Amino acid sequence: MLSALLYLRLTSLRNWVRQRVLRLKQPKYLAGAIVGAAYLWFFFLGPAASGGGARRKAAAQAAGGVWPQAGGALPGHVTGVALAIGALVLLVVVVLAWVLSQERASLGFSEAEIAFLFPAPVTRQALVHFRLVDAQLRSLIGALFLTLVSSRWAFASGSPVIRALGWWLILTAFNLHLAGVRFTLTRLADAGLGTWRRRTLVLGLLAAVLAATWAWLPETQRAPVFDGTREGGRVLAEWATALLGTAPLGWVVQPAKWLLGPFFAADLRAFLVALGPALLVLGVHYVWVVRSVVSFEEGSIERAEKHAARVAAVRSGRGAFHDPAAKGRPGPFLLPGTGRPELAFLWKNLLSTWSWLNVRVWAGGAVVIVAAGWWARSHPAWQQGLAALAAMPLVLIGYVIVAGPQFARQDIRQDLPNADILKTYPLAGWQIVLGEMLTPVTILTGVIWLLLLAAAVTFDPAAIKLPSLGRELFAPGTRAVLLAAAALLTPPLVALQLLVPNAAALVFPTWFQATRQRGGGGVDILGQRLIFFGAQLLTMLLVLLPAALAVAGAVFVVRLAGGPLALGVWLGAGGALTILLGELWAGLLFLGRRFEQFDLSSELRP
Amino acid sequence: MIEVTGLAKRYGDFTAVRDLSFTVGPGEVLGLVGPNGAGKTSTLRCLAGIIPATAGTVRIGGNDLATDPVAAKRTLAFFPDEPRLFDYLTVRQHLNFVARVYGVAHHEALAQPLLEELEIADKADELPGALSRGMKQKLAIACGLLHGPKVMFFDEPLTGLDPLGIRRMKDSILKRARDGAAIVLSSHLLHLLEEVCSHVLILKKGGKIAAGTIAEVAARFSQGEADVNLEEIFIRATGGSEN
Ligand SMILES: Nc1ncnc2c1ncn2[C@@H]1O[C@H](COP(=O)(O)OP(=O)(O)OP(=O)(O)O)[C@@H](O)[C@H]1O
Ligand SMILES: [Mg+2]
Repeated sequence: MLSALLYLRLTSLRNWVRQRVLRLKQPKYLAGAIVGAAYLWFFFLGPAASGGGARRKAAAQAAGGVWPQAGGALPGHVTGVALAIGALVLLVVVVLAWVLSQERASLGFSEAEIAFLFPAPVTRQALVHFRLVDAQLRSLIGALFLTLVSSRWAFASGSPVIRALGWWLILTAFNLHLAGVRFTLTRLADAGLGTWRRRTLVLGLLAAVLAATWAWLPETQRAPVFDGTREGGRVLAEWATALLGTAPLGWVVQPAKWLLGPFFAADLRAFLVALGPALLVLGVHYVWVVRSVVSFEEGSIERAEKHAARVAAVRSGRGAFHDPAAKGRPGPFLLPGTGRPELAFLWKNLLSTWSWLNVRVWAGGAVVIVAAGWWARSHPAWQQGLAALAAMPLVLIGYVIVAGPQFARQDIRQDLPNADILKTYPLAGWQIVLGEMLTPVTILTGVIWLLLLAAAVTFDPAAIKLPSLGRELFAPGTRAVLLAAAALLTPPLVALQLLVPNAAALVFPTWFQATRQRGGGGVDILGQRLIFFGAQLLTMLLVLLPAALAVAGAVFVVRLAGGPLALGVWLGAGGALTILLGELWAGLLFLGRRFEQFDLSSELRP
Repeated sequence: MIEVTGLAKRYGDFTAVRDLSFTVGPGEVLGLVGPNGAGKTSTLRCLAGIIPATAGTVRIGGNDLATDPVAAKRTLAFFPDEPRLFDYLTVRQHLNFVARVYGVAHHEALAQPLLEELEIADKADELPGALSRGMKQKLAIACGLLHGPKVMFFDEPLTGLDPLGIRRMKDSILKRARDGAAIVLSSHLLHLLEEVCSHVLILKKGGKIAAGTIAEVAARFSQGEADVNLEEIFIRATGGSEN
């Protein structure tokens, strides 16, 4: 039996690799592979191969860095601190898993595997074993990757082999733990333990352990003492180490420390010594998972698997998924049969998002922001705080413009599987692309407008020293103009940003699909991500440069003629708007044409 | 209504359809038949303007699909073999959306009888996930029929339907043909095709083997026998193998 499963795995892997290699015949995939490989080489492999990692460690040490040279024996306290930090990280992640975990447990079989394997004459136990062994393959790849990434970490073991094995142990145990958590929680949920009860329980337990540990510590060690004689970071690290070394918290993190032991082993002997406890931790996990899975009722595990597979399929844009709880809801606005067809897409895609993304919630947010600002203004104690807060919305706006398109994806990206039907509509390509993009543009614009409002409300020119131009720029009248101009420029700017991922979906559909599938990664995908991120930033620069020049030019000319600054801002904003709309138009035409040529069925073939 | 001349479709250096010419007039139903991989779906996708043809021209209601696609597409409807629906729109919302895309005023008045004809009126507020495969197919058909198309392309419309559904589907197609629509459909269910189609076109490996009314094609391959059914013609015409 196991041999059939192994055959399935190996042939799948071989075909996957073959398909990847064949695809490199297309220049766009080749480019991705080259960029990805170059990235890996320059940042990880190269330094590791040339011993650069060690050199850097030496340099860091010479410069008085915290971490002394690895490879040789590490001073005990450094390993201790690293171990404590590692254990702390694991503890936090594990607690989060116990607290946050929402999905019903599943082993992660694909739909095809369910169709072939579940009716096959195999025991559930064998399936579970197969799945767990199969997960090792992924852990192994992950471990190799992390070994590369961590090649510069001076505090880890000097030997790459030991480090890779260390990573593998950590990842495997971690995955097992997550699976165990899910299955245990699902059983508890079936037994009637509600989500919030469970959360309270876990957090309460954790708080009790922390409190007990804290009380256990000698009086002098209960809080970190910053006396100026020693580095602050070191004080903090030593305090944390002491805390983690004290019972009962010490007992709780002990398995994590055992697990991390091999990773930090300085040489082979230390590794072998540390291996025993780590394997014990692993073994206990294995038994835990297998027992908690197998004790499931047969039908229920199959149902869970089917459910999970369908969710995964929908996330990757294939197939329909029916959540039995999901009900249709009324459209976001009335959509008469006649009018601009693009709005139909806005209407449709708004239905695919959360129902609370609506005008009422937005207006409520605006009211809250204005009221809070007004209230804070009338309380002098808060004014200081407001001035400090004013920069926050601006930073957030930048973040939304750059990263927002990755989150708000109710556009072509989610409609690729329906491309065939969309293309029979009597609409030009650009109309479809524009219509599809309206929803994320609307959502992101709404968010940015709220942030602009927050910035306007919290901004207090009296709190900051300004040069003369600034003083004029932030005079109340000009400020209002500035705000209006920013609000006006937001939609086209956001739309331009959204063109990039949509172009990616249409120009590189295979990559795009692959990044959303399980196990779809690869060097070319890594390169593709880098290219996309670069493209996103580059677009922003290229798109903003002419617009910024227009604003600067207008302001300069108006000043030269002795006009008011507000007029310059108005004129500049008008010019910038024209430029941005022109750019958007060109982008839409390009993508529209691309959409008309697009054939998903061809793209998905190697 | 549908005029096709010299249509060819290549995927890379693989030719899926070669040099296809035919016309379908109002009221005619053309059945595309051929072994798996013969190029039926590829042909229909070219005709519906989903993928650009490599060579040849397609005119729908007098409008060239390549130079004036929007006008051509206004009168056509395409029904893929797998119904393509939006997971988060209810049945009624699908029709509302499609109405706006095609600019159908007063669509509610048209939608209700359509849903009743297709017997999914009681599911009007369900999401596609709650529909069976056949019901999904019916919804896709309702969406395509809402704007009263004059040209229709069906890819395997009869697969997945229950016997009653097949009967209804046939009636529905024939009714639209009687009302003057030009229809092309592909199917492997030859005995059903015989009852629906006025013409057949037999494809093999992307090329046309035979075309004409059923009687004409039958006459060509019957070798003098009387009453040869389409299945027998198909086997003889395609040489009894897929290659
Ligand atoms: N996107 C594509 N890229 C490359 N080859 C394709 C593509 N789509 C179809 N083909 C090939 O073109 C040929 C015709 O395919 P098509 O889907 O048109 O056949 P069909 O007649 O509809 O078959 P079936 O009866 O199985 O539905 C097949 O050999 C197929 O492999
Ligand atoms: Mg087909």
